[in-house]
Amino acid sequence: MEEDDPFERLKNLPPRGHHALLGIYTVDNGPDWAELACPFAPGFLIDPDAGLVASGPVISLVDAAAGAAIIARTRQWRGMATLDLHIDYLRPAKAGQTLYARATCHHVTRKVAFTRCDVHDGDPASPIAFATASFFFTDAP
Amino acid sequence: MIADTPYARMLGIASIASEPGTVGLMMPATTQLEGRQGFLYGGVIASLLELACLEAITQERDSDGPRPKPINISFDFLRGGLMVETFAQARLSRVGRHVVNADAICWQAGRDRPIATGRMHLLLDQGRGR
Repeated sequence: MEEDDPFERLKNLPPRGHHALLGIYTVDNGPDWAELACPFAPGFLIDPDAGLVASGPVISLVDAAAGAAIIARTRQWRGMATLDLHIDYLRPAKAGQTLYARATCHHVTRKVAFTRCDVHDGDPASPIAFATASFFFTDAP
Repeated sequence: MIADTPYARMLGIASIASEPGTVGLMMPATTQLEGRQGFLYGGVIASLLELACLEAITQERDSDGPRPKPINISFDFLRGGLMVETFAQARLSRVGRHVVNADAICWQAGRDRPIATGRMHLLLDQGRGR
């Protein structure tokens, strides 16, 4: 029963592709949300002198968390593609800190899923970014 | 140069001359950039677009000046990104006293068939005074 759950399947997939490069892993999940994390790596820096982290890993983590939140809500293993993604940056991430993204899937239609995401780097009370993203089910009839 | 940063190197990104007088970015396809099987990861395409915006600002502005701070960025994904070389270029649509607007496109087969677009706002920190 447990192994048939699509979210459990997602969590237990061996890391591959870009998730493997960034070291993205699942932290926690609920009925319509998923929290994913990404440990800091020196390759994330865009300005090593200033210790400034690129936002690329943040964007990729948001994309991953939003997709996972949709699976958490729909409990279905479906093909989907990101339609659009918007990020508001509140402050830069701190070098050396693990990134956390908690995405909620707040609405699903036959073809589209809508998500919101909060990102922090250790302290949820001090977020680094908010994001919204919508996805299109590529296998929709 | 954005291509010299550790993050751009992690993605394998290089600067290329795309049109006379402008510089774009090229990202070779590797399995490390893959999302769903056979396709580039959406987050990677978005990251390339953002780096193109930062590159456009780097070219336009004095490198000694204060570094612009990203305020926000919106991406539209138009087509799935295949596992082939991917290009991106950005232009500054407005350079104000406080805010820069940039937009970027990302393509593979041809510039006239973009796979994704991005629009970005950046804050020009004037430093002290003002």
